[in-house]
Amino acid sequence: MLKINNLQVYYGDAHALWDINLQVRRGEICTLVGANGGGKTTLLKAVCGLLPIREGSVLFDDSDLLAFKAEERVSLGLSMCPEGRKIFPGMTVEENLAIGAYTKRAWKKRQSMMKQFYDLFPRLKERRKQPGGTLSGGERQMLAIARALMSEPKMLILDEPSLGLAPNTVESVMEAVQKINGNGVTILLVEQNVNVSLQISQRGYVIESGRIVMSDRSEMLLSNPHIKQAYLGL
Amino acid sequence: MTSFPILFEQIVNGLVLGSMYALVASGLTLIWGTMKMLNFAHGELYMLGGFGLFFGVSYFHLAPWMAVPIVLLVIFILAALLEKGLISPMLGRPDWDVGAIVVTLGIGIFVQNFAFKFWGGDFQEVPYMISGTTSFLNITLAWHRIYILSLAVIVLVAFWQLMKRTRFGLALRATAQDIEAATLMGISYRRVYMATFGISASLAALAGTALAPIFSVNPWMGSGPLIKAFIVVILGGLGSFAGAILGGFIIGISESLSVLFLGSGWKDLICFALLIAVLMIRPSGLFGGKEW
Repeated sequence: MLKINNLQVYYGDAHALWDINLQVRRGEICTLVGANGGGKTTLLKAVCGLLPIREGSVLFDDSDLLAFKAEERVSLGLSMCPEGRKIFPGMTVEENLAIGAYTKRAWKKRQSMMKQFYDLFPRLKERRKQPGGTLSGGERQMLAIARALMSEPKMLILDEPSLGLAPNTVESVMEAVQKINGNGVTILLVEQNVNVSLQISQRGYVIESGRIVMSDRSEMLLSNPHIKQAYLGL
Repeated sequence: MTSFPILFEQIVNGLVLGSMYALVASGLTLIWGTMKMLNFAHGELYMLGGFGLFFGVSYFHLAPWMAVPIVLLVIFILAALLEKGLISPMLGRPDWDVGAIVVTLGIGIFVQNFAFKFWGGDFQEVPYMISGTTSFLNITLAWHRIYILSLAVIVLVAFWQLMKRTRFGLALRATAQDIEAATLMGISYRRVYMATFGISASLAALAGTALAPIFSVNPWMGSGPLIKAFIVVILGGLGSFAGAILGGFIIGISESLSVLFLGSGWKDLICFALLIAVLMIRPSGLFGGKEW
């Protein structure tokens, strides 16, 4: 569904990502793990069009993503839930969700979509008139995920959803991710929390210093000595 | 001792003036809130509103109520094109905040001199929207002032609803709060900026059409309201819509009351004293730093 071929990304003149090859298959949860500063967020920004790409190609559902502006990629069915949630602080929960359905097709269905996500995340319903800036970290993450899903994407990219959350909140976020995947949304999960993300995904990539250094089925990665040593502290 | 009817009339005058300051200042604060830049051509857009009404009425013989919407539409389009052509290219450059200020200054100077060169420096008269006066309880009010006050209230309420309820309003607020997240929602910030500039200009032009019959039309009519609007937005808090409205009324009423009690020479001094007093207590203005 998503095919990244020989991608090179630069920040100004600094070469940030080298020869990235990555594929996400329809219906799966694929994970991209790596330490801080390894290039995970850079790669996602490039895929979403927030950073220019100098070489390589990105195909989504066989259409060339690079031909579309960042804001046009949402209507192709590619939605991203960014690092740090990026909730609109002065807008209520309800308004945050509504703006998630900004694309023309989704806007008409926003009421029924909203209802669906209030069922998935009852906490959001309780807080629907509250400004986004007043929510807790876990609630913000739920809201960010729901907002990203309001556009009815075929594929959802999640950037560090577990960041800064308590362990049991991480667990409920991951359960929600699995549920969303069960409803037919392909997921690319980008995480520092290697253990949790490899447990719920089918396949994984490991990125280090701007290069993909390993890719395999998730359970193989979990038992890989390098992963165990570098990321799981075993 | 000032009699009650005079006091009341001055308060109404203050409200009328304040409502117009609120309109002009809302446009200014809208641009700051969304694009994080100052628009020094705002006063000239106000002036174009006045001239637009003058031409509509004197040359095209339109009724004022027909001329105003046409003027607003033309100015919306003109401002959106100015944004696209002159301001948008500055966006994203490292020095863009300063660059954009200089560009708007340039637009303002150009428009003012264009008006002087081609439309002349004479003070042009524009008819009232509704002429005549009404009186009750010994208080006499011009219909035009009642028109201005109700127009401002209707427009500001409509604008607020636009921001709260419509798809476009949400997109505008989202862009103002987090441009990257807004892009991820599928919002084109460049289009939002164009529309923002257009709406802001229309608000200024609307105030220009409303005040033109009272102050007459000339190429320099915009500089006074621009300075007042800056005082208002800084008093209310840059980028705050509620601050622009409240600040507008505060400045308007304090102006008219200082004219009544102290004489007209005092009104600007009182305005600035008020501004300084507020900034000493709240450096970011009454509603500064709040998101909308």
